[in-house]
Amino acid sequence: MRAKLLAACLSVTFLLAVCGRLIAAPPGPIRGRIIDQKTGKPVAGVSVTIKGKTGGTTTNEEGYFTLPLPSGKATLVISSIGYATMEQAVDANSSDLVISLAVDQKGMGEVIVTALGIQRTTKSLTYAAQRIGGDQINEVRDASFANTLSGKVAGLTITPSSNGPGGATRILLRGNRSIQGTNNALIVVDGVAIDNQTISGEVKDEAGSANAGQSGSDGLSNINPDDIETISVLKGAAGAALYGSRAANGVVIITTKKGKAGKLSVGLNSGVSAESAFSIPKMQDQYSQGVGGVYGTTALSSWGAKATGQSVTDWRGQTVNLQTYSKDNVKDFYRTAVSTNNAVGLTAGSDKVNTYLSYANNNATGIAPGNRLMRNTFNGRMDVNLTDRLSADAKITYIVQDIYNKPGIGSDGLLAANVYSIPTSVNQNDLKTYKTVDVTGVETPVFWSSKSDPVIMNPYWTVNNTHHDENRSRLIGLLSLKYKLTDWLNIQGRVSSDSYTEFNTQEYANNTVNYARQAGGYYSEENNYVSERNFDVLLNGNNNITHDLKVTYNIGSSLLDRSSRHRITAADGLAYNNKYDLTYATTLKETVSTVKRELQSVYGTAQFSFKDYLYLDVTARNDWSSTIPEPYSYFYPSIGLSVILSDMLKMPSWVSLGRVRGSLTRVGNDPDPYLLAQTYKFIPGGFGGYISSQTSKSIPGLKPELTTAFETGTEWRFFNDRLGIDLTYYKTNSKNQLLQVATAASSGYANQYLNAGNIQNSGIEVVLTAQPVKTRDFSWNLNLNYALNKNKVISVAPGLAYTYLGSADLVRTVEPRVAQGGSYGDLYGSRWATLKGQHLVGANGLPTWTTDYESVGNFNPNYTIGFGNTFSYKGWSLGVLIDGKFGGVIASGTAAELAYNGMSAVTAKYRDNASLVLNGVLADGSANTTGITAEQFWKNVSQGASSNAEFFTFDATNVRIREVSLGYDFKRLPAFLKAAKLSFVARNLLFLYRGNSILDLPGIGKRKLDIDPEASYGNSNFQGVENYSLPTTRSLGLNLKLSF
Amino acid sequence: MYKRINFKYICAGLSVLALSAGLNSCTKKFADMNTNPSAIATISSAQYPQMFAYAQQTVTLSPDNFEIGEGAIASMYSQFFGQAAGFNTDRYGIQQTWLPAAWNPAYVSAAPQLRTIMAGTDAASAENAVANVWWVWTFHRITDYFGPVPYSQAASGQRYVQYDSQDSIYYDFFTRLTAAVTVLNNHKGEKPFGAFDLVYGKQSDPVSAWIKFANTLRLRLAMRISNVNPTMAKTQAEAAVTAGVMTDISTDAYMQKTNATYNEENGLSVIAGWEDIRMSASMASIQKGYNDPRMPVFFQPATATGLYNGMRNGLSDDEKNNIVANTSTNTSNLGTRWCNYSNGIWKAVYTTPQDLMHAAEAYFLRAEGALNGWSMGDNAQNLYETGIRTSMAQWGVTDQTAIDTYVSNTATPVAPGDGMNSSAVNDYPVLWSSDATMQRQQVAQQKWLALWPDGMEGWAEVRRTDLPKLYPVLHSDNADVPVGTTIKRMPFLQAEILVNGDAVTRAVGLLGGPDNAATRLWWDIK
Repeated sequence: MRAKLLAACLSVTFLLAVCGRLIAAPPGPIRGRIIDQKTGKPVAGVSVTIKGKTGGTTTNEEGYFTLPLPSGKATLVISSIGYATMEQAVDANSSDLVISLAVDQKGMGEVIVTALGIQRTTKSLTYAAQRIGGDQINEVRDASFANTLSGKVAGLTITPSSNGPGGATRILLRGNRSIQGTNNALIVVDGVAIDNQTISGEVKDEAGSANAGQSGSDGLSNINPDDIETISVLKGAAGAALYGSRAANGVVIITTKKGKAGKLSVGLNSGVSAESAFSIPKMQDQYSQGVGGVYGTTALSSWGAKATGQSVTDWRGQTVNLQTYSKDNVKDFYRTAVSTNNAVGLTAGSDKVNTYLSYANNNATGIAPGNRLMRNTFNGRMDVNLTDRLSADAKITYIVQDIYNKPGIGSDGLLAANVYSIPTSVNQNDLKTYKTVDVTGVETPVFWSSKSDPVIMNPYWTVNNTHHDENRSRLIGLLSLKYKLTDWLNIQGRVSSDSYTEFNTQEYANNTVNYARQAGGYYSEENNYVSERNFDVLLNGNNNITHDLKVTYNIGSSLLDRSSRHRITAADGLAYNNKYDLTYATTLKETVSTVKRELQSVYGTAQFSFKDYLYLDVTARNDWSSTIPEPYSYFYPSIGLSVILSDMLKMPSWVSLGRVRGSLTRVGNDPDPYLLAQTYKFIPGGFGGYISSQTSKSIPGLKPELTTAFETGTEWRFFNDRLGIDLTYYKTNSKNQLLQVATAASSGYANQYLNAGNIQNSGIEVVLTAQPVKTRDFSWNLNLNYALNKNKVISVAPGLAYTYLGSADLVRTVEPRVAQGGSYGDLYGSRWATLKGQHLVGANGLPTWTTDYESVGNFNPNYTIGFGNTFSYKGWSLGVLIDGKFGGVIASGTAAELAYNGMSAVTAKYRDNASLVLNGVLADGSANTTGITAEQFWKNVSQGASSNAEFFTFDATNVRIREVSLGYDFKRLPAFLKAAKLSFVARNLLFLYRGNSILDLPGIGKRKLDIDPEASYGNSNFQGVENYSLPTTRSLGLNLKLSF
Repeated sequence: MYKRINFKYICAGLSVLALSAGLNSCTKKFADMNTNPSAIATISSAQYPQMFAYAQQTVTLSPDNFEIGEGAIASMYSQFFGQAAGFNTDRYGIQQTWLPAAWNPAYVSAAPQLRTIMAGTDAASAENAVANVWWVWTFHRITDYFGPVPYSQAASGQRYVQYDSQDSIYYDFFTRLTAAVTVLNNHKGEKPFGAFDLVYGKQSDPVSAWIKFANTLRLRLAMRISNVNPTMAKTQAEAAVTAGVMTDISTDAYMQKTNATYNEENGLSVIAGWEDIRMSASMASIQKGYNDPRMPVFFQPATATGLYNGMRNGLSDDEKNNIVANTSTNTSNLGTRWCNYSNGIWKAVYTTPQDLMHAAEAYFLRAEGALNGWSMGDNAQNLYETGIRTSMAQWGVTDQTAIDTYVSNTATPVAPGDGMNSSAVNDYPVLWSSDATMQRQQVAQQKWLALWPDGMEGWAEVRRTDLPKLYPVLHSDNADVPVGTTIKRMPFLQAEILVNGDAVTRAVGLLGGPDNAATRLWWDIK
């Protein structure tokens, strides 16, 4: 295959070379520059042709063009998307022309990059897309820039993970549709998809045991935001025809900066910020370590005596006056993290060659001691006009990212769990002496209880004597050659490669409970290699069929090779204490997996436009995937229509634009490889190993998944674009999903693969933009993004009522279930049983739980609102972004564990006597009169490791000031400086609102959600539940942008 | 603007189409590409030994499965151990999500391999016979947990799997064991599965050992049905003894354990290291009362006091934490065979072989058979006393004086000195009594001690005989099994109800009672 492709590429190249020779050497060329009539800024990509002739050129980034003049006189036809086409007479004497182009007023000039890097005016789009400029994401920053997209696009839900800088971000467009596959949007950089999987694994249960609490890093966060020119978000499946099935979840298209012709220009962006824990649960500070109202140091919980300064023997054996430290313990454990960011970008070029070089250094510390991210990004891009017809664009990006001491998430002895477990009367400062060392040098952890806990440990031991480090080197390369066959037909060949290696290590010092199980300690190395290579050839052209009817078309073919290798080598036991080197392994364990897959595609698109007010899009794609059975093939088409009513019909002059659009798309999706055949596996072991049948039943007749998407929308702009509104309605159905569902284990299989399911999403999106005030000195711009999504699980699988998101076992609070008739994201767990509408209480005065799990809510917000404001006054600018998620619930394992341990503030009430009489009825209908203590109550409803979900589920509604930036553009600058802007920036400044617990507890009331509902386990589908996640952070900083 | 299409455009178009066509025809290597390089596509008899080893190792439970599938359940209900962990299973709480840990290893890990071996080998081969014996071993533990279970269709690959009644399962056990022994008698001296037989592969004559294992298992199962079907019980028991059960510790069955991988570690050691379990008050009362020489092998003194101390079963969390004598530093963890204490940390001994079945048990089964009037090759007293001595030998107790003293001991269990100030658990002496009722109690008590630490078998026999008399649980979290009653079975798995619900509904009919922990199994009629 490779050989054939190479041959094909060569033949194309040869062809190009031959074609190149056909062009005769021209007489003296004419040179000119195209500028925007309104702004005076150069316009790039403008087509300049000579009337009546073939051939022509386009302007470069600085607006310059050079065109050979065949004879003394000619008329140039100058056209560009978004501008009115104009003609200009020139002769051989015309030199250094400056031509002003007028914005095509009625046509709304905004241009957006769509699939394959094709620029289109937004008015011609038959689907919803939203654009974000680079400056919207490189001022208020985050170590993962994806997190800064939150609130900026209607229908885009960003969920960061709570394990320090560099954690994976969930990027969800228009709701969840895949039950077990990814729901994350496809990330495309400069026309080529990049890998955005989380190769080193995801946390899929509340214990964090599924992946040692490690939520790996994603691919998107590797991108340097300073390199980004624009981001286009295609919210629906519309990009699928050109990007393939992975685009079914929507596409985030990133266009990076290119070099610009002209003198050397240097841009500098430098920022420093301080981050601190943003949301720490409120603790009680009256009662001490102990159980049953008695102070004691064997307990891990804080149900002890009231601390009134009485003399006790503490956990260290010292006589002290009993007091609590819980108000500050958590806050004092985490630190203020400082991040710096320095980026330099350099551009220079001529009309032949343009170069962009950049370097960024990101140094972010986490609030967990020792946690740090260092990222260096090197980027070089060059575009060359080799001849008038042949151009090349080459880019290479190299990223080195190191994350040190990444904290794990989940409850199994991971960092946050250990911090939150410090009893109220233990001072975290005293835990800084976290180890004892004996004469032979053996280190033993110091713990606050005389009973050694098998899971929980001193958090200072965790941060000092356990380490999770990640190192990633990534190389993204792109080379594309474009040959202009005529002024209406191009051929483009492209080769791209995105590959990275990861080297991750885990170290657990000897005597680390739960993790260093064998003598000497534990050490593992994880090596991952991920590669994605894409080869494609694309023919694109445009013709005028009649004067009014034009057609633009693309025919392409691509080959996508993806492979990954994953290897973990672990030394379980070290021959020399804490010697983290595999050669010291007393037992060496290897886990290896390899994935290889290939996708071959042929696709075509055509857009017909009639009188520039009626646009019809048709696309078709056929894929051949190696992961499905013969004949490996599936086909998917789409059709779309956009009508510019304001051009078609006579409208009042205050209407700048009015249009309607609609599209219908079908997308196929190939599943993971290796599912067709029933196989056996070798399991290493100490007695020569084992062989076992695979515990998953294979699916020989596997079919590709199928998503159908319909969307329609309308867009209006008024008063010279001062006010705009865009409305979209969509509906998608995802069928034939590949599900791994539990079988009756008695069948001999733990689970089986099925093609089933029908998940429906429908919703509306509203984008409102306005410029309420505009004077010479002052302007106010606002935009409001509103999105509402409704999800319905129409079916799961025949004979199967529900299946799980994440792990079915180790349910501690709730399990996210996908149940027929329900909604994706429904959370199931125990509830307080009722009798005729009243809470049922046992004879012991304690709540009676439902025996079956019931739904306690859905983790998805009903709707989201992003409200951005920019105020400019002279050189000053103030940006405020308010981000709200309304509806949805979160089950807080942290709340459950803190309640169980008598730590949370709410547990301080009803301690001293059994005075809590729950307002409810006994089984016989009589009123409950039995009093209970807080300890009885909270230990009943939270069993620590497993709790009654309804009691710890909160309305996840939250509204926050997401971003604030206050900047000043310096005016009187020294000659060497072109621009300078200094900004004060803040992220996650404060909550304007947070929801309450869903249960109104008699005698206790509704509890305020005191964690950040965005603290998630990472980017997997396992959402809506958190357990001992790290606090999210607020950052405050300064940013300086200079250009020379 | 109309264009004349000239040659070069056609050329370009064709080259794109040619490339597309090239792509399409290039799916030939897809089948290869979609073959997992880490998986085995086909197997032959060369792989049977490693498959058999897997069936053996997995049903003795990985540490994770052992903790929640056995350690928190049968180990408590047998009262071999008290619960130091914060679980509520000791108070008869049912943790549905833990039950697959007991169930899945048999059905998903062991049965498919055993089926493959049984189908792929000659029925008259030693491998086939040993696989059948192991099949019975595997499923007797499952059916004794739940009652009716999938058996004839177990691991058949069908989406819906029928459950079989417990009596039909037991009858098939006898058929299989009888047939297996017949076959094995023709293969003495062979080494079926070689070193991959992780139970007897190191023996010089594994087949002879397997014969004794099969006969002892048959005797155990015969005794189990002695109340519900005394006739068959007698026939099977006598046939088993005639065919030759274990008579000394040389053929005692252990599963080899190693720390090479986590799942091969001794689960009991691991949970001892986790401080999940402690000496039970019942065990303390009896062993302290008898001054049992095995006590320092089974347990070690509490770290804070240097004394042996047990925990009552069914303690509340308050009682566990606030009564000092119940706390983990004041109660006895398992002996140094399983775990060691230093610097405040418990470390497991991962490689300790796991106890499966011992000659001592065979003697006590025969002693009970003799009391039933069955022909067991000796009289009850001799079998009882040999059983005690065999158990002492099994645990490495060699002090003959101590052993003699123990056998002739008239002392009875004592108040264990636990945190709940319990009185003596019962009043059975070791010295063989002349009273028929006491003799049965003595056999039960000594067998209970000899079965330690196998909670699965311990719980089964406690249910069958209601002997020895143990402490009632102090608190119950399970309304079906209130304080004063004892737990009888595990309810069916929610995971099965979800995807195999009709079969489970029919199984509840076979159960003859509600699907809860209070319903007695078929053989538990006393």
